[in-house]
Amino acid sequence: MRTNGKGHRIRQLLRLGALVTGVALMATACGANGSGSGDAGEANDPPSGEAQSGGEITVILDSGFAGDWSTGLDSSTSNGVGANLPQNSSIYGGLFTLEADPDGSNAQLVPNQAESYEWSEDGLTLTITLREGIEFSDGTPLNAEAVVWSWIRSLSSGSTSAPTINLDLDRETPDLDQEFIDSVFDALPADVDEDLIMARLGAIQAVDDLTVEMYLSVPNGSLVNGLPAGNLNLIGSPTAYAEMGAEAFSTTPVGAGPFVVTSNTQNQRLELERNENYFKDGLPYLDAITFQSVAGDQVAYQTVQAGQGDVIEGLSDINLIEEADNNPNLEMHLGAPTSPYVVQLNTRNGPFEDKRAREAIYYATDFESINQGLFGGAGEMSQSFTASGGLFHHPEVPGYREYDPERAAEIVDELGGLHVDLMTTDLSTARRVMTALQTQWQEAGIVVDIHSYPLGDIITKFQAGEWEAILQTAGAWDPSVGIGVAVRFGSTSPFSGTPLPEGAESAQQAIDEGLQTELDVLLEAAVLTVDEAEREEHYRAISQYISDEAYGPFGMAFSPAQVMRQGIHGPGLDEPIPALAVNQGVLYDRVWVEQP
Amino acid sequence: MNRTTGPPVAERDTGAEKRDGPLTQIAGSPILRLIARRLMIVVPLLFVVSALVFLLMEALPGDPARIQAGMDASEEQVEAVRTQMGLDRPGYVRYLSWLGGALSGDLGHSIISDREVTTLLGERLPVTLQMAGMAFVLSIVIALPLALAAARRPGGLVDRVVMFCSMTLLAVPNFVMALLLVLVFAVTLGMLPAIGYVPLSGGLWPNMRSMILPVLSLAVPMACFYARFLRGDLVEQLNAAAYIDTARSKGAGRWRILWLHAFRNSSFGLLTLIGLNIGALVGGTVIIERIFAMPGMGTLMLEGVMSSDVAVVQTCVFIFAATAVFANLFVDVMYAVLDPRVRYGSH
Repeated sequence: MRTNGKGHRIRQLLRLGALVTGVALMATACGANGSGSGDAGEANDPPSGEAQSGGEITVILDSGFAGDWSTGLDSSTSNGVGANLPQNSSIYGGLFTLEADPDGSNAQLVPNQAESYEWSEDGLTLTITLREGIEFSDGTPLNAEAVVWSWIRSLSSGSTSAPTINLDLDRETPDLDQEFIDSVFDALPADVDEDLIMARLGAIQAVDDLTVEMYLSVPNGSLVNGLPAGNLNLIGSPTAYAEMGAEAFSTTPVGAGPFVVTSNTQNQRLELERNENYFKDGLPYLDAITFQSVAGDQVAYQTVQAGQGDVIEGLSDINLIEEADNNPNLEMHLGAPTSPYVVQLNTRNGPFEDKRAREAIYYATDFESINQGLFGGAGEMSQSFTASGGLFHHPEVPGYREYDPERAAEIVDELGGLHVDLMTTDLSTARRVMTALQTQWQEAGIVVDIHSYPLGDIITKFQAGEWEAILQTAGAWDPSVGIGVAVRFGSTSPFSGTPLPEGAESAQQAIDEGLQTELDVLLEAAVLTVDEAEREEHYRAISQYISDEAYGPFGMAFSPAQVMRQGIHGPGLDEPIPALAVNQGVLYDRVWVEQP
Repeated sequence: MNRTTGPPVAERDTGAEKRDGPLTQIAGSPILRLIARRLMIVVPLLFVVSALVFLLMEALPGDPARIQAGMDASEEQVEAVRTQMGLDRPGYVRYLSWLGGALSGDLGHSIISDREVTTLLGERLPVTLQMAGMAFVLSIVIALPLALAAARRPGGLVDRVVMFCSMTLLAVPNFVMALLLVLVFAVTLGMLPAIGYVPLSGGLWPNMRSMILPVLSLAVPMACFYARFLRGDLVEQLNAAAYIDTARSKGAGRWRILWLHAFRNSSFGLLTLIGLNIGALVGGTVIIERIFAMPGMGTLMLEGVMSSDVAVVQTCVFIFAATAVFANLFVDVMYAVLDPRVRYGSH
């Protein structure tokens, strides 16, 4: 035992030394949202044994993404609902959850506080039925009226977490209780358009105590699949809001989720305790959960090593993921892959106006070898915008230009040379992939300058159109949700480099005059139906179009890793769930800790 | 600005101080005049600082509304956020509005969290003040004995060890020092927390435990700097100053000469250094708070910069700048207290 102890200490000191070498890289690497990463190891097996009640955990979140809740935790006004899924699902639960088989496959939308949903035949009316008997943690009912109150607030408070929905605003507003109308307006900004709110109250109605109907002017195929990632899924207590006021509700919101807020230091630490009023018998398993925000992956990993954290959500640094995988005290699980890397090419100016230059990039890019070299082959290759964890996955696209450096070199010669500025988000994994691409492209005779920027600068460059090529990740579980395919490839998106429609000088002009490209029409059609088979066909056509026009080669798909100490289990941790936005969701009401 | 040269204070301490002590002189007109003169510079200086910060924030690339709204927000949503943030008003209107409010004690609202900046400061300032204050005191407590011990026998074993260690530690940036300390004391030895802050209301010892590593991260490099500087100054005094020879000829012991004679004069240089270092100390809290997840001003400012939250950044920088400026004013007053030449007009 003595020898083992010494050996362990020596190993720890050696590890310490190894980590120190990585310290300099950390600096102020207060990462922005993760763009996916991979790992050389295999995911561990799902847990065996019965779930146990009791215990508490501390979840470590990256301050650059989920650990930033600076716009508060009121689900209707927060702009960070998609990033703050861990906190939100713990406090509010949700009408629906995204769940999957234990191996991460067959992900589907599952009613949670809702009992069911149904689309009308014409795809214009969504009916949601709630489970009976659910109460908020303050003891008031989560009923249809509370859902309408919450939805109207979410759509009318200026929150960017609200989905874009074309409501049928021509419907007559039903007779509503004045007290209810007052409670809606009291919870909205003072300068709100009252007529618009009344029209929305006509488009979103409580049919009875447990049934809500939403009337649309056009079908919306992404609405339901997008619910778990947006604020419409999170219903707060109108009574608590009226009693607490906006600021207190934003700090200590009251929902019907598995936990209630006991302490909240913005962007630092959120402490929750078990909701004794939770509607699922025997759940949550945990007595308490704390979310702690830290600056970047290195600090997150050290915090868990020091015993101050139990779970790291969304670790994206490849080296640390590998280290966690080799650490006998920790478990590491990759999420179900949904978002492949893609090199978006800006066709609107510079070298990639010329399709031949874009083709050269396809032929010069060998993502498979990057996958082998940097990720030990753990990434799943894709020729389109989603991977096996996502909807509408088709890994191969007919006619896709695969790695052929000689062909690339020929095209570069034909062009008389090719000089490319390649940029990516300032994340260690993305930087490494970018460097590998630079090497590959240079071998084909392409001169490459590489740059990594913080997310804010990337956004700025997109807006100014000052970019040539960018390494990003594309898609999520449903390609129409979040930063989906339309955001990357729709001509009027500020984050796209695909050609503008004929006759349009700018995206705004295209929007104003209703001009569209062929790809825009396909992207729109994929959302203008709730028929899954139709959507599948549209997305297949979209993949084909992007490939044919060579708008950007796709590569390996990764999910950030969930890392936890031994003995912690639950859906989204050791049972992968595809990412709705960037990080996979964790269903904290079913997370449990092995008790001694 | 090197005030360590010139006739030693110990030789001249026979006049004013004996008539009425230094503290009495603070209330006298020369020091008050000095303070008044400095304040006349400080006020416009802080005004310039606030204007510069505003201009810099305006010049930063990126549309705060777009960044805040996120990549998947529609143009309408971005515009709504812009209006909500008050960014639809011209820059000078926003600045004057902030300045007018600040002069009347209203530091404005965070455009991100919509909370009053004064409320945010109330939550964050105590953490930073405690951390910076403890680091400052600790750095002096470490530096003084080391410098005195090293200067006692220049070139001796103690001197060489102190100089080598301080040079080595000085070469380590404080964020690296922080991560090293975490690796050793939190991860490997498990003695101290790696992150987090426990307020005093959570108990004195828990509060101190949460402070030890951040404070050490800040204090150790600073202490090394002070120790090296002070040691050099002490050795210079010991080797070159006539009053030291006088003291020696009177039979004063080595420690007495060091402490009562050489150190008093060397303290001028140290004071200058401390004054200049206060700004660096407060600035250093930005990174250290980030690494240790301390909810202080540094973290608040960094969050503000990342999200272009002008009122928050402006207030934080203003406070950091004011701290540095007033620390230097304090140092100048201390000069006047210790050195009659300053007090009586040669300054």
